[in-house]
Amino acid sequence: MTSPMSCDDAKGLFAEYWSGSLGEREEIAFEAHIAQCEACRRDADQLGALWRNLELIPAEEPGPGVRARFYDSLAAFRQGMESAPKRSLRDRLMALWPAQPAWQMAISFALLVIGVGAGYELRPGAAKIAPDGQESSQIAQLRGEIGNMRQMVALSLLQQQSAGERLRGVSYAYQVPASDTQMLSALLATVNTDPNVNVRLAAVDALRAFGSSPVMRTAVIQSIRKQDQPMVQIELIDLLVDLHETDARPELEKIAADGQINEAVREHAKVAMEKLR
Amino acid sequence: MNATGQVTDNAVMARVASGEVAKMAVLFERHHRALYRYFISMNRNRELSEDLVQDVFFRMLRYRASYDANQSFTAWMYQIARNANVDQAQKRKAEVVGIDEFDDRRAEPASAAPGPEEIAAKGQNIALLKRALERLPDDKREILVLSRFNDLKYEEIAAMLGCETGTVKVRVFRAMRALERVYFALQKEKSA
Ligand SMILES: [Zn+2]
Repeated sequence: MTSPMSCDDAKGLFAEYWSGSLGEREEIAFEAHIAQCEACRRDADQLGALWRNLELIPAEEPGPGVRARFYDSLAAFRQGMESAPKRSLRDRLMALWPAQPAWQMAISFALLVIGVGAGYELRPGAAKIAPDGQESSQIAQLRGEIGNMRQMVALSLLQQQSAGERLRGVSYAYQVPASDTQMLSALLATVNTDPNVNVRLAAVDALRAFGSSPVMRTAVIQSIRKQDQPMVQIELIDLLVDLHETDARPELEKIAADGQINEAVREHAKVAMEKLR
Repeated sequence: MNATGQVTDNAVMARVASGEVAKMAVLFERHHRALYRYFISMNRNRELSEDLVQDVFFRMLRYRASYDANQSFTAWMYQIARNANVDQAQKRKAEVVGIDEFDDRRAEPASAAPGPEEIAAKGQNIALLKRALERLPDDKREILVLSRFNDLKYEEIAAMLGCETGTVKVRVFRAMRALERVYFALQKEKSA
């Protein structure tokens, strides 16, 4: 036989007593205790009644949109996995052809002009490849026009009310020359202030095209602590690592030591510091 | 497979981790309601809670490789949920809500819709109990929600919170005592 149960021992058994999940021997010992301990008997009965009533509180149900949103993002995630890792988001964004005919026309026109300006590639950073001096002035002018067109489309889309339209705006940012500072500042503003986390994540990805810009690098370093979403913070840190931005180290060090910041982000910052050594 | 013939959560998640991400749908169907209930119990904000449910499934997809099939899926999922909720709470700390405003928000239709069991005196008691639960400090409310509403095993709660199972059981007991105090205080308030 074990020695009689104390009130302290009993404390750890109430929860299972109420839910009827005590083992047989424990139950016998517990019942023996409450039979001779008035205080614990009171708790077992009174609190037990509350425990049972808790179950009667109606469950609050999520709205019907939750399921649809989940299946949408699962599909997007799978699509992203099937494409090459770095390009996935971009490809996915490219698939978002504008719904409005006006935009479709503008883009079609832009694509037509691209066709005329033979040899020009629809690739981020392509503008950097050909040294500026070697272009004929005609082609340079044409490129300028294409750039303006894309910029106009992208900047307007970034101002739209709906997150979907803004996502499209980000997708066009991939087609703007990396030297376009207006586009760069629009993307940075999106990263820092867009209310939708998916739009912010997409904008971080689009910033990769501006990798050579010191303005962009500095802005990204400063943006991390302004973000409220750990996912965005992690993306920003990854971007700095991919760019081998060693100037980010002091800020990463602060982030790693900042108790206010999400633990996973802090860990990530630590790993990033190692990589940027 | 478990007793009810279902493939266990752990097995499903292991397949997700190995690349069959479409299987996440199974886990979504099994758990999204309970997750929502956890979040709404913690933050009383429907829209935010729905966002957090999405966030949890997104994080599980993203960090699927970190899942250890030998550990309880439920504990892992709620650990992620808890982190997501804490991240949000930190963000919202700036906008501290006053008690009065707090009460107003409680009166939202979501919580006011009476079920068939909520009638007459019994119904009032349940409504009062719900309010008492909402007034509990976060840690006490959390442990009751997890053990009572979300049916987590004490071992799972312990794994999630990073403490001993025995500690969890004692904390459940203490949370029930606190709940009783708030419940009676509210009852007095009401009859006064
Ligand atoms: Zn006792």
